[in-house]
Amino acid sequence: MLTYMIRRLLNTIPMLLVISFLIYLGLELTPGDAVSHMVDPEIASQMSEEEFQALREALGLNKSFIQRYGIWLTNVVQGDFGRSLSGGVPIMEIVLDRLPATLELSVFALLFSTILGSALGLISALRRGSVTDNGLTVLGMLGVSIPEFFFGLVSILAFALWLDWLPVGGRLLPEYDNYWDHVPNIILPGIVLSLMMTAGVMRYSRAAMLDSLSREFIRTARAKGLPAWRINILHAFRVALTPVIVLIGFRLPILIGGSVIIEAVFQWPGVGSEFISAVRGSDYPLVMSIALLSVFAVLMASLIVDVLTALIDPRVRLS
Amino acid sequence: MFDRIRAREEAGLNKPLTGNRAVRKLLSNRLAILGLFIFGTILLASTFAPLLTVHEPQKIDLRSMLQAPSTEHWFGTDRTGRDVFARVLYGGRISILVGLGSAVLGAIIGVAIGAYTAYRGGWVDAIALRASEIFMAFPQIILVLLLVSIAGQSLFNLIAIFTLTGWSGPYRMTRAQILSIREEEYVQALQSFGVSTTKICYKHMLPNALGPIVVNITLTTAMLILAEAGLSFLGLGVPLSIPTWGNILNVAQDLRILQNNWWMWLPVGAVISLFVLSVNFIGDGLRDSTDPTMQG
Repeated sequence: MLTYMIRRLLNTIPMLLVISFLIYLGLELTPGDAVSHMVDPEIASQMSEEEFQALREALGLNKSFIQRYGIWLTNVVQGDFGRSLSGGVPIMEIVLDRLPATLELSVFALLFSTILGSALGLISALRRGSVTDNGLTVLGMLGVSIPEFFFGLVSILAFALWLDWLPVGGRLLPEYDNYWDHVPNIILPGIVLSLMMTAGVMRYSRAAMLDSLSREFIRTARAKGLPAWRINILHAFRVALTPVIVLIGFRLPILIGGSVIIEAVFQWPGVGSEFISAVRGSDYPLVMSIALLSVFAVLMASLIVDVLTALIDPRVRLS
Repeated sequence: MFDRIRAREEAGLNKPLTGNRAVRKLLSNRLAILGLFIFGTILLASTFAPLLTVHEPQKIDLRSMLQAPSTEHWFGTDRTGRDVFARVLYGGRISILVGLGSAVLGAIIGVAIGAYTAYRGGWVDAIALRASEIFMAFPQIILVLLLVSIAGQSLFNLIAIFTLTGWSGPYRMTRAQILSIREEEYVQALQSFGVSTTKICYKHMLPNALGPIVVNITLTTAMLILAEAGLSFLGLGVPLSIPTWGNILNVAQDLRILQNNWWMWLPVGAVISLFVLSVNFIGDGLRDSTDPTMQG
């Protein structure tokens, strides 16, 4: 197990290095002086020309490209991504400030889509070929065909503007004095983001359930005379659930991509909407840093999924 | 049962089977037929837009601002009096071009690289595989937006960026297919005849691997049309001066328009959804008809 984990980790690190190098290359090629995203702009504007040059020297900006990359990478590994071009706030501060909102939305969407998707997949598999099954399949197709932001707009119109049940957007509004007051705010973006992913989970859990229903142990359970619901839920569904849960890790890229747009639609103050405004404002250091962090998250998630799969299924780590 | 079938065959009652088996199978799939019908209708309507509407998509008419749908303006008019129906038709041209064009371009590049490197194997294969892993490590929208911010917004840039981010899927698929075909005896026979590498992999092996790749192109097209719409909605896709489905929806960011002028965004959204749905139906039908493991 340990050798497998080490092997897998050795696979990930070079990937991260190459991607960080490409990101740094992009940072160097885009307009903007490196000093401006490494130093507080207020201090930089008060400096004389000599001081400015001395600072460049001290920051290592006159060294060769590879050395500059080395310095940048050392800083990044220590959590120092430099400063945002607009406002000069340290990038790590911005990201950490916005991360809770994104995590909140993602966890909500992950839980909701997993529960709803696997339940619908279960129903679909048990009634294979019925009207319900076909209807759910077409509904699933519809779910992946409607643009998520359009779905978001329709839901804002229906539930926020017409029915006035839920707020239009935003998260921790000034009039809230309790953390839990913003629960109504998360419902719309959370559900819209979940429904986008539910179709995939449903399809997957339907296939897994059909596979598990055709196994030998189900026949044994039937032969023992167990009630149908017990066989379906406790025996078949439990086995089918394992791959569905493993799938959570692989949905992270879709989740990150989806939350970028959903956050923008619902003005949810997360990392995604910050990314959009950074792209709009050509704030390259911020854009690159968030991209790098998202790659890091995706690679880590796939690493964890692989290790978990290897823990569950010994065949994986031996091959 | 079989006797009866044989009797019918001998009597010549069964229709002679014509055409490609996969095509026949696709045509017997009702959802795929529906998909082809919707796809064809929207594609033709966009292509022949000038025949269907007298209005021009960019013509500003300040006397007829913000009009609700009427017989004159089927989908109403927008804030500057432009006819929304005409904009949807003309916008479809660009949106379909971006989606379908980038998916096909990406597939051509991915398939060309995948077929060759998988057949050659060794370090060529290893490098291509690592390169595709780098592209796949990024969440797609993040990578697209990152490249948009570097390259700037234009129609050409968007197609190039979609192509660049979309080659890895078809590449992976082709590679897996070629690797499994590579050990077949007919390939060994061709090798022993001294047929050149490029000829073996592109002329003899690739046609046998094409089914899943075509399915992949349809699904990528669906995804890219959604991506274009999403990016343009945020104002980061095709420049706003060119009408596309996403750019028409852009105005719906304004809550007043969202609430009071439904015709400016609801029909476009429905057209996008219908089009993507039809592409998905076709893709699903193609998968069922080309993948032998899905039969039965």
